[in-house]
Amino acid sequence: MMMNGGEATEAELFLNCDDMSVLERQRVQLNYHQYHHPGFEPTLPCFFPNSSKMNVGEVDSFLPSAGLDLPEIYGELHGDARISVSPGNITTEFGNSKKRKFGCVDTETKVCNEKKKMMMMMDREVAVEEEEEEKSKVTEQCTRSIMKMKNKAKKEQNSCSNDSSKVTKDSQRTDYIHVRARRGQATDSHSIAERARREKISGRMKFLQDLVPGCEKITGKAGMLDEIINYVQSLQRQVEFLSMKLATVSPRLDFNIDDIFSKEVVSAPMMNLPNTVMPPHMMVNSGYPHDMVNSGYVHFNPMQQVVTSSDPLSCFNNGQSATMWDSEVQNLYTV
Amino acid sequence: MQPTSTMNEEFLKKWQMGLQMFRPSIDNASVSERKRAIKLSADVAMASLRKGTTCWSRALIQKTATEDNFLVRQMLSGIKEETLINKKLPKVMCHRKIVRRSKKILMRRKSRSAMEEVAAKAKKLVKRKTQGLRNVVPGGEFMSNNVLLIQETLDYIVSLQTQVNVMRSIVDAAEAGIER
Repeated sequence: MMMNGGEATEAELFLNCDDMSVLERQRVQLNYHQYHHPGFEPTLPCFFPNSSKMNVGEVDSFLPSAGLDLPEIYGELHGDARISVSPGNITTEFGNSKKRKFGCVDTETKVCNEKKKMMMMMDREVAVEEEEEEKSKVTEQCTRSIMKMKNKAKKEQNSCSNDSSKVTKDSQRTDYIHVRARRGQATDSHSIAERARREKISGRMKFLQDLVPGCEKITGKAGMLDEIINYVQSLQRQVEFLSMKLATVSPRLDFNIDDIFSKEVVSAPMMNLPNTVMPPHMMVNSGYPHDMVNSGYVHFNPMQQVVTSSDPLSCFNNGQSATMWDSEVQNLYTV
Repeated sequence: MQPTSTMNEEFLKKWQMGLQMFRPSIDNASVSERKRAIKLSADVAMASLRKGTTCWSRALIQKTATEDNFLVRQMLSGIKEETLINKKLPKVMCHRKIVRRSKKILMRRKSRSAMEEVAAKAKKLVKRKTQGLRNVVPGGEFMSNNVLLIQETLDYIVSLQTQVNVMRSIVDAAEAGIER
């Protein structure tokens, strides 16, 4: 990684956070700059990490670690309503943005002026309530600023970039986040807010893709939503079916809890056979890791287990365990 | 995020608690009664795991509360009543025919390009699907924006998975016990 010595700490912070969200990285950046550049005017319109300090090499090394987060944001560059998420898109999209940059050089100063106006607007209009929206804007900023970093590093600095090379206020002072519109996109606050909202949605849909089985190939909101609806409905039907099955299987509604624990849930060093005498004994005596399991097992009377081994379904003698359950239930109320 | 074993255990505990309350009244009842009791306690257990933080859990509790107040009150004695109420969203009641007619007129007035038409159709489709999702997820009508809807769906799916896993393992265990 090509790093200057002075940038080492900041770069380390960036590089060590492959799993950090872009937002956190932005915060780190903010803190760094706040620490190192305390005397900047709060009124400057653009938020940029200090462009004169970050060189191309650093940006290049920063980008791959940001690769996971970028595609879903840049997926909107093409302006359609679909979500296509694939890390392989990064390079092509950056290629596109570079091409676009050359056509937009002269509008940069215009954008800066517009941006100042927008800032005024934003200061008045943007309220602080939606912290999430700010966060995603910060996210946007970070990615956009990175893009701008790259562009600027390639050309000479024009007047706008000279202004923006100073770091503006930090968001902690005024609680507003100044947002720069992306290249070729509308600059009014509404569309920016809308874009932030859309990106939030696409981020969440990505999570859903991981959760719902068989969704990897589906791109597009409508298809994803279809799958989600089907999945939720199938889960609900399964619950119905299973409860019906349980109702028919056990006429007395008491279930053998130790079966469940031994088989499924806890990584127990115990054996799985429900009918042997040993397990409850052993489990009670050994230092069993889970408190909940302990509470379930404390009721077990090994003698009882022997007696009722022919009836494996009932694990509680109602008369004996009633009092114990009451105390347990009392504990559970506090949960 | 997949359901963790802690979640499984908590759900099982709460479910058992709920079933205990049914136990005296249900022993000789019909299959459907028992099934209803099982499902009810399972749902309340699942919802109470969230302790009133999510919209769907509150809506689910509200739904079950109409069926069996006693159970719900017992299981949720730790949680305040206020947190359990969902705020109703303002709904504009319009006659459907009038709405459709005005939409048609607007469509005619607007100049259309091929791209716009496609985009508009896609948007309509997505809107319809989100409405469908709202119908499926409990409390969907209380979720004001789509971001919240998707978040709640995520949580709801994870909880449903817990529920299904635990129930299935109990059914398996019970069946295995019977076969012996």
